[in-house]
Amino acid sequence: MTHFFETYGLMLGKAILVHLAYVLTSVAAATVVALVLGVLLSRVPAIARWMMPVISISQTIPGIVFIGILYLYLGMEPITAFTALAIYAVFPILKNTYAGLLGVEEKYKEAARGCGMSPRQILFKIELPLAMPTIFAGIRMSTVYTVSWAVLTAMIGLGGLGEFVYRGVSTNNSTLTITGAIPAAIMAIALGALVDWIQKKITPRGLQEVKS
Amino acid sequence: MIEYRNVSKNYGERQIVKNLNFTIEDGQFAVLIGPSGCGKTTTLKMLNRLIQSDGGEILLDGKNVNEINAEQLRQHIGYVIQQIGLFPNMTVEQNITVVPRLLKWDKARCAERVRELLALVDMDYDTYAKKYPNELSGGQQQRIGVLRALAAEPPVILMDEPFGALDPITRDSLQDEVKSLQKRLKKTIIFVTHDMNEAIKMADVILFMSDGELLQQASPEEMLRAPANDIVREFMGKHVAQGVSGQDNIPCGEIMRKNVAKVSSSWRTLECVQMMSSREIDSLVVVDENDRYLGVVTIEGIKAHGKPGMEVTKLLETTVPTVYTDTLAKEAFGTLDSTRARYLIVLDKNERPVGIITRTSMSKALAYMVWGGDAV
Repeated sequence: MTHFFETYGLMLGKAILVHLAYVLTSVAAATVVALVLGVLLSRVPAIARWMMPVISISQTIPGIVFIGILYLYLGMEPITAFTALAIYAVFPILKNTYAGLLGVEEKYKEAARGCGMSPRQILFKIELPLAMPTIFAGIRMSTVYTVSWAVLTAMIGLGGLGEFVYRGVSTNNSTLTITGAIPAAIMAIALGALVDWIQKKITPRGLQEVKS
Repeated sequence: MIEYRNVSKNYGERQIVKNLNFTIEDGQFAVLIGPSGCGKTTTLKMLNRLIQSDGGEILLDGKNVNEINAEQLRQHIGYVIQQIGLFPNMTVEQNITVVPRLLKWDKARCAERVRELLALVDMDYDTYAKKYPNELSGGQQQRIGVLRALAAEPPVILMDEPFGALDPITRDSLQDEVKSLQKRLKKTIIFVTHDMNEAIKMADVILFMSDGELLQQASPEEMLRAPANDIVREFMGKHVAQGVSGQDNIPCGEIMRKNVAKVSSSWRTLECVQMMSSREIDSLVVVDENDRYLGVVTIEGIKAHGKPGMEVTKLLETTVPTVYTDTLAKEAFGTLDSTRARYLIVLDKNERPVGIITRTSMSKALAYMVWGGDAV
């Protein structure tokens, strides 16, 4: 065991950091893109009505295929992994942002209009805050998924915990596989908890029992 | 002043509001009423432009609302909706100050306004200001909804069935509160409801709508007395009918107040004064040894002619009209009215006083006969 860590310790530490970096940057970028897209789509229901199904379907393209295709265009650069992960991470957040905004009850919007709020004020003061729990559920889902999707980046030689998993699988070394898998699982749980914690911090008490 | 001139609204082929013309004076409590789908809510919402009118013009203090920026217009017209619609992400204080904050009031002024407003509905600032809507009861929520509409001191407030979702008891007390607030603050209120009881209770003027048209604009009294046509009459059905046929045979025994302050004819003046002051009344009914009615003795009578220790029989007044428990309340009302007496004594078959009917108990009974419910 000591021998194992002497051999792989440094590599594992580096892999965890790379993995984490992929997840955090791609989810952060995805959140921004998804929020903007989600808000825009919610303003034009006519377009959203056919866009959302298309987005849902594209989400079912296996990650491996997508990373492979991007690899052909962008080469073996971290940007490939980042782009692929970010695009995947957009879907759950976008879907939830859209659903969250659409789910804001008409009475609140009418009350806000009746108070003389502009559409922009209604969006920022009422709709987005009320959609927050749903949006956060999307961010959480994206984060957890991205941790596992990021394992795939090793497939195109871009490091992360996937390296252990692939090397272990290809050399039939289960210790190595588990060494990659367990930190990934822990990372997924920890990041999920982190998102929950942030959500709890920024959600006003009045909204807390509404949705999780 | 609010004027609707030939206002109309269409949804496709359907004309929801047809050439509406009416005027509401400043400080009036105007109730828009009518069967569902009659266009009353549309009429209301065209004023703050939540719904855009298609024809005619709506003037607010002489200005066409369509020429005012919609958001500014709404910031100066209070608005209360049935579903309450307090923003769940904001505290009570934040909800109340939504419009003041849109109008860029400074913090101190907002905070002061919240205190003022909560005091108006007897809600304690320290207890409630920092609460969220989901921590309040339905009645408290709608009180805050009303305060939110009042916050920026708009002269006009629109209320769209504001109490429709509340239980009857809460609704009743909120009606009283809003009515008294309106009088005190001298607001012009336009109030939509389909509940005639509510309209009669709240309105200075009722506007009856049916099928997009205004059928009658009148005070509650006048509308009850002279409904403009069969639609109005039918809608007010139970309110009008009861007065005419249903319950006009109530006997005095049912509307009288039963705790009569009786004294025996052997009592003397000082004892009587003592009893009057302890029961906070100004007259006593005097009975003989068989409990039969003799007359009344009043504080004025004692003051004018009485001496300490004098027997009350010497001060007896017998001018107060008497009726019997089975006399119809209708007749008693006539007696009360024609004799200008302050009250009547009700006697049972054996001439024993068993109750009195005051002007107050009479008007309560009348309200009950006319409007039904539990007025007595």
